[in-house]
Amino acid sequence: MIMEQLAGNMVQGLVLGSVYGMATMGLSLIFGVLKVVNVGHGAFVMVGAFVALFFFNALGLNPVFAVPAAFAIGIVLGLAFYYAAIRKLLHAPELATLLATFSVGVLLEETVKMIFGSEFRGYNWDLGNVDLVFTALPISKIFAAFGSVLIALLLYLWFKRTRTGSAMRSVVEDSRGAEVCGVNVDGVYAMSFALGIGLTVASGVLLTMFIPVGINPYMGGGYTLKAFVIAVLGGLSSPYGAFFGGLVFGLIENTSYTMFALIPGVEPFALTRFLSFLILLIILLIRPTGIIKAK
Amino acid sequence: MKRFPLKSLVFLVGCVFLFCGISAYAAPPEKIVIGHPACLSGKYAKAGEQAVGGIEACIHWVNKEYGGVTLDGEKVQLDYKKYDCESKKESVTSLIGRLITVDRVDVVFAPYSSGLTLRGAPIAEGHSMLYMDHGGANNKIFEQGFRYTVQTIGPATSYHKGTLDMIKKIAPDAKKVALAYEDSEFATMVMEGAKAHARELGFDVVFERTYPKGVTDLTPLLSAMKATDPDFVLGGGHFEDGQLFNRQMSDLNIDVDCLSLIAAATLPAFYEALGSMAEGVMGPSHWEYGVTYSQEAAKAAGTRWIGPSQDEFVSLFKDATGDADMVPDYHAAEAGAQVLAYVLAVEKAGSVGSKEVRQALGDLEFMSFYGNWDINESGLQVGHSMVDVQWQAGERVIVWPESAQTGKPCYPMPTFAEKAKGKKAQP
Repeated sequence: MIMEQLAGNMVQGLVLGSVYGMATMGLSLIFGVLKVVNVGHGAFVMVGAFVALFFFNALGLNPVFAVPAAFAIGIVLGLAFYYAAIRKLLHAPELATLLATFSVGVLLEETVKMIFGSEFRGYNWDLGNVDLVFTALPISKIFAAFGSVLIALLLYLWFKRTRTGSAMRSVVEDSRGAEVCGVNVDGVYAMSFALGIGLTVASGVLLTMFIPVGINPYMGGGYTLKAFVIAVLGGLSSPYGAFFGGLVFGLIENTSYTMFALIPGVEPFALTRFLSFLILLIILLIRPTGIIKAK
Repeated sequence: MKRFPLKSLVFLVGCVFLFCGISAYAAPPEKIVIGHPACLSGKYAKAGEQAVGGIEACIHWVNKEYGGVTLDGEKVQLDYKKYDCESKKESVTSLIGRLITVDRVDVVFAPYSSGLTLRGAPIAEGHSMLYMDHGGANNKIFEQGFRYTVQTIGPATSYHKGTLDMIKKIAPDAKKVALAYEDSEFATMVMEGAKAHARELGFDVVFERTYPKGVTDLTPLLSAMKATDPDFVLGGGHFEDGQLFNRQMSDLNIDVDCLSLIAAATLPAFYEALGSMAEGVMGPSHWEYGVTYSQEAAKAAGTRWIGPSQDEFVSLFKDATGDADMVPDYHAAEAGAQVLAYVLAVEKAGSVGSKEVRQALGDLEFMSFYGNWDINESGLQVGHSMVDVQWQAGERVIVWPESAQTGKPCYPMPTFAEKAKGKKAQP
């Protein structure tokens, strides 16, 4: 029975971890290129969740179609945010960008609240379950995991195989050097920021495919915290590392529960959090750059 | 120059002070101000919005229909001063201080939730200010020795009594109960009460686990719960986790005869979010449209009635919120009823002084659209009874207690596979 639960939780953890990873890639990309910590990250995830909700409930469309739409909305939001605030604050003290991203997060939350209200919403995209003997896996979750892996792969290829991707990597490596070599650093900054926000908003759609309930303007806070843990785990400057960190985090969260449940008198969920942060601390001490170093 | 006699000066000053004192004592205030650190944003914004609507609806009723609060033979209007506490504990403490010292309110209504209510209580207590709790059900609030805190919402320990009584009566073979709930002051207290009552009734608690606030995945906990094969499940904590609980039980094909979730399950948003998956799911509620409290019922029970009727309250609430589509839920009703309790207590005390009004509240018993009101010595609400609501064919039906039923309970509820095929919960 325990082995069945463990196997089931491992599968569920991997699926959830892939979505967590995808939801963190944008944060890592922005930090990697611009050295800006986006503390409003969760609010952009929330925007994506509302895009999915709007597509399904108002337009009657499959949430899969909401992924490109959310990505496009994220790109527009990212460009607007970059040119309105971030660009002017790039050389200001770090606190300025922290406050700017925090303010935008609050602004987004309150704007969404004004439009949609503060109720906890959800949509019911029920495609049935796949019975894996030791657990049942909803097909919508499989879509979410598949979408996350696909987007992560596309991003990897874009970075490795395109000139723009190379330009971005050169800016991460040495922005001054890249500028000397003719790279439009300001353009790369704008594109990276927009891409990071686009990925984050798109991840909001994928998260709702995993958990299509509890959608509300303030849902992002928990994801911001998780994203920071995952980003540090995987390497704060590395989007691929973030994806890998997400998988590890999902696995830790789900499988350690089963193990801790065997200890009498403890609340397993409390210990899973403890373990997540303990591992984070150990990794920071042993390898401060995270599991995967930015390339 | 002739000096002004000192004795005359002392006499004159004394007269002025005496006059001012008498005037201040005798004249009723121009208005009575209710202060409220309301949750207008943040995680409790929905409940806060409902509470504010309920309060404004009942203040309107008191001022317009009731004519105001009778104090020293004069009618005094109620006023309402609110700030947004953003559902944050640190804001609650500073705003209560501001309401008392700057705005000079006459009473403070607590914010929504047990945690926020408990955080604000010492501040009100420090100012000897009456602090009325409409959204904090945790019994522990009333075990701290606060002298000025009184409760309108019922205590958390009574939430699932009705549910358990119902199952005992309609399904005597049901034995195994699983408890899975949020690790919060409120939910823990609810489940302590449920566990004690379940054991009194002879049920076996086969599973008991908590999950943290803000949880995004309950799969490990629910998988472990499934292994214990419970007959019925009592769970939840607040809004988002309740939806998640139901959804992930469906994802994992965990079928039980009854699922009752606190806070979330009784709200329309629950069914809107989950659709058919919510069919048959139950939840305890402090108030639902359809309850049978009325002027006639109060008369029959030999107690005093005050306030609008149920339908009048709904209409006043819609006017207050400016949203004709918004329906009041129990958060609105309990906050509104609190206004009525305060009005009766001020009239009974003949004063707005916190000490006098608190004493009057202790002696007060009445019925309103929300139900009965009576508190014990510690300020805990003991007069109000809860109802159990079940989603049947997309409608909320009051299924327990039998005296308040608007429909029979559906037990066992349909399986998730049946619900996916469109089967509705029918008695």
